[in-house]
Amino acid sequence: MSFYHHQNIQIKSGRVTRRNFLKYVSAGSILAGSLGIRDLVSLQAEELRKNKKAMILLWMRGGPSQFETFDPKPGTATAGETEAISTSVPGIQIAQGWNQTAKVMDDIAIIRSMTNKEGNHQRATYQLHTGHVPLGALKYPTLGSSLAKELADPLNDLPACVSVGRTRIGAGFLGVEFDPFIVQNPGSLPSNVSNIVTGKRLNRRLGLMNKLEKEFAYQGGRDIVEDHKQLYKKASKMVLSPHVKAFDIASEPESLKKAYGDSKFGKGCLMARRLIEAGVSFVEVELANWDHHNDIFNRSSTIINEADPAMATLITDLKQRGMLDDTLIVWMGEFGRTPKLTGDSGRGHYPKVFNAAIAGGGIKGGQVIGSSTDDGSAVKDRPVKVNDLFCSICHSLKVDPRTENDSPLGRPLPIVDEGEMVKELFS
Amino acid sequence: MSRNRILKSAHLFAGVLILGLLMPAQPIESANRKAVQRKTAITSQEMSELINTLVKKELSASGKKLSEPVSDVVFQRRIKFDLTGKLPTPNEVTFFGINPDPEKREKLIDDLLASDDYGRNWAIFWWDVIISKATEVRAQLMKNTFEAWMADQMNENHSWDQIATDMITATGDVRENGATALIFAQSGNSSEIASEVSRVFLGIQIQCANCHDHLTDKWKRTHFHQLASFFPRVNVRPVRDKIPRSFEVIEKKSRANSPLRRIDEIKKNANKLLKQYDKNNDKKITRNEIKRGPIKKQFNRLLKLADTNSDNALSVKELKNIKEPENARRFLTEHYMPNLDDPSDRGKRMDPVFFLTGQKVKKELNDQERRAKIAELITSNENEWFAKAFINRIWYELVGEGFYTPVDDIGPERDAIFPEVINALSDHFINSGYDVKWLVESIVLTEVYQQSLGTGDEDDISFAATRTGRYRSDQLYDAITQVLGVEQSEETDQPRFRNNSPRGQFNLLFGYDPSVAQADIKGSVPQALFMMNSPTVNKLLSGNGKTRLSRKLNEFKNNEDLIAELYMMVLSRDPSEKEMKISLEYIKETGNRKEGVEDILWSLLNSSEFLSKK
Repeated sequence: MSFYHHQNIQIKSGRVTRRNFLKYVSAGSILAGSLGIRDLVSLQAEELRKNKKAMILLWMRGGPSQFETFDPKPGTATAGETEAISTSVPGIQIAQGWNQTAKVMDDIAIIRSMTNKEGNHQRATYQLHTGHVPLGALKYPTLGSSLAKELADPLNDLPACVSVGRTRIGAGFLGVEFDPFIVQNPGSLPSNVSNIVTGKRLNRRLGLMNKLEKEFAYQGGRDIVEDHKQLYKKASKMVLSPHVKAFDIASEPESLKKAYGDSKFGKGCLMARRLIEAGVSFVEVELANWDHHNDIFNRSSTIINEADPAMATLITDLKQRGMLDDTLIVWMGEFGRTPKLTGDSGRGHYPKVFNAAIAGGGIKGGQVIGSSTDDGSAVKDRPVKVNDLFCSICHSLKVDPRTENDSPLGRPLPIVDEGEMVKELFS
Repeated sequence: MSRNRILKSAHLFAGVLILGLLMPAQPIESANRKAVQRKTAITSQEMSELINTLVKKELSASGKKLSEPVSDVVFQRRIKFDLTGKLPTPNEVTFFGINPDPEKREKLIDDLLASDDYGRNWAIFWWDVIISKATEVRAQLMKNTFEAWMADQMNENHSWDQIATDMITATGDVRENGATALIFAQSGNSSEIASEVSRVFLGIQIQCANCHDHLTDKWKRTHFHQLASFFPRVNVRPVRDKIPRSFEVIEKKSRANSPLRRIDEIKKNANKLLKQYDKNNDKKITRNEIKRGPIKKQFNRLLKLADTNSDNALSVKELKNIKEPENARRFLTEHYMPNLDDPSDRGKRMDPVFFLTGQKVKKELNDQERRAKIAELITSNENEWFAKAFINRIWYELVGEGFYTPVDDIGPERDAIFPEVINALSDHFINSGYDVKWLVESIVLTEVYQQSLGTGDEDDISFAATRTGRYRSDQLYDAITQVLGVEQSEETDQPRFRNNSPRGQFNLLFGYDPSVAQADIKGSVPQALFMMNSPTVNKLLSGNGKTRLSRKLNEFKNNEDLIAELYMMVLSRDPSEKEMKISLEYIKETGNRKEGVEDILWSLLNSSEFLSKK
């Protein structure tokens, strides 16, 4: 029985799908019943080592203006007060204020021809997180959960998918197991993780609980008790694990902390690097307040001061540690903003053209993919749809975008429907 | 049971008796006009006996029988949680145990059905059902309004067909009319309303047929879009200048000057327009040829939408094929089945037809008439699926296993287990006039409901045991605050802050969709962390300060009494001999009474028994 449960947990916590498990069993060792979980793990240990892929999503909540970020239109009516600056790559200009990011442009690919139809925050946020437009009752998993399911090491003490911010799009039909672990205050230990009693006492409590649970197990709760025990094992492992320190940036050198910036976003990015280092597969770091319906030049300048050093330092830091090739960084928001300025210097929602910046994960930096027209009102060439971007993300992480998961009604649904990866990113 | 406990309880018992004498007897059926008008239904006693007979007959055919009936202690916890969402207090457990009345279970059921908590509990259940599938996140702002409304419907025992009709036809401010929840949760979108009305009230998942004919069932795209055609005139819009902000469900009026109307005019009159404006007879209209009128003003826009060959002129063909701006479709007052090959095409106009019966309605109905019509068709006595969808849900929630699984995927294309039972229930529920309390009472009176838990093995025979599952998050929250002696603070209905309230936070962590099979609902690491390692819970179960535990530590000097009290508080039962022994030894080993007792309370509160139905 305990073997069954153990196996069950392992299968559910990703990595090994039920089908794959059966494949492993039938391929190698049909030694009736003799295959334990350790065998299974060693069977794929090699594969685990091979795939250290991970992703950091820098989520610009509210819809960042392409003109104030990576598709400036200097000297046009569209630009307003925003100037362009040069970058380390000759010929590529980005908006003023992004001084640090400009220096690492060699590692960044900008897509200036993102195009979509959703201009409502909520719906677009859902689509840019799941790859699917909201459709009735079906709750698609957020990309982080889908990827965590494919990439995560089940033996890791830490959750596979971590999210800083308020985007509450969860694992959907994949179930709570793959729900993003939400961090409220990036940079310090998350709530309920730091020891409130000594490790010794926690273990003692767990021991007592397991003893007392026997009565309920006997009365028909056996499976629930067993699942519960495994869950508490996982949770207490996290509390007692030295790896949980990955959430806490206190031990990082002051100079590095300063380089990331003493902001929520800066701390979140530094924490993201630490988490990826500790084996987490997906981290989302949110930077809110991009919804500039008025006073866009002042407001974007403030927020860029927070975004720029954090993003640039994250890229450099990962690179110096030799982690950039395996870690994909995607900077994006739910849509772009209108070329036309409103009376009080704001911009409205504009899904028709927006931009995204991508670094690491084996992509080719120092390039611009696609373009918008001179006034920024339309895609000029090489339109990239949300599905295309998602396919590219999967490609970078060596996950098949057509990997299927079953909906609650048993319908197999691919991680990404249709779309094609953006080849230029990888050439 | 400890002596101390009995003495205290007996004292309270007398008090309650006196109180009972002073209270005027309440008539059971209130005189509310919407309360169920009973027809010729059998009583819930008779119904429950019929169910017993039918279930036993089918079980014995495969050589099985029902499990042991549950003890009073288990029954009390089960029924109180199921009907009211609350944990029995230690005193209630004691009373119930010593009460010699052979009909005490029936009486307890009556009391619980008559309590206000009954309506509240089921109102929260229905909110979870609706909100778990909502596409409109802002629907959260009407949580309190819906729950208050639904609690009244339940407590006043409005019939299920009346409640369903109210929800399908609801209009008005979502903060004032709780019945608008299902419509608001879909932002008034006709396709999404159709999906959810079908899922919630018929248990039929017809939304798959939104984009393609159903792969395994007989539902075609047409069926789905004919259903959606009952709802195209629903409009949800913000209420102007309202603080806190709100939305209203109103009728979408067809507008004479809507952009689509104008485009239709242009298409229809393309030849006329050419005749009127084409001065130089080159079969094209150019800017210079138009001297005045709205067409002149709109000419640039027209070019953008119609000028396919970019010659800055418009031919009849171009005018006839003019594209409509996509965002203009929100003005449509009819439902169109999208053309999947060409998203720029408006699609095919559909007329309302009810897919289960093929009944059509007159075409030119306004919003209220359309929605009243579909409500009438859905709740008709002729439509067994309306009754069965409700029965299946309530039965599943109470017994732990439905006649159909998943609970909201039933209908003529599915086979039920124990079909005789659900057919009988359905006939009599319809005869009862969709009397919700009658149904609930019929189920909880059965031996099927009152039997022990199964082992949870895959080969368990259906209905030969009840099944465990997790409590819903509001039930758990109430239970935890009750155990730890926390006064529930006044909850604000400010939606913005709601999620920040302790209950809101707890629901974010522990909430689940009640339509998902219990077997698929697993605990999560953050949930476990909250229960086992949060400063909040840990502080409340401390033996220091003004906590409930520190009071109990003083009140019960004897460790055995104290342990029994903790078991009663948390698990509503006495500890077994073995559990008592383990606990006493634990206190001894710890060498510190307070610390040992804290750990015992921690273990009980974190146990799967506390979190699970039993």
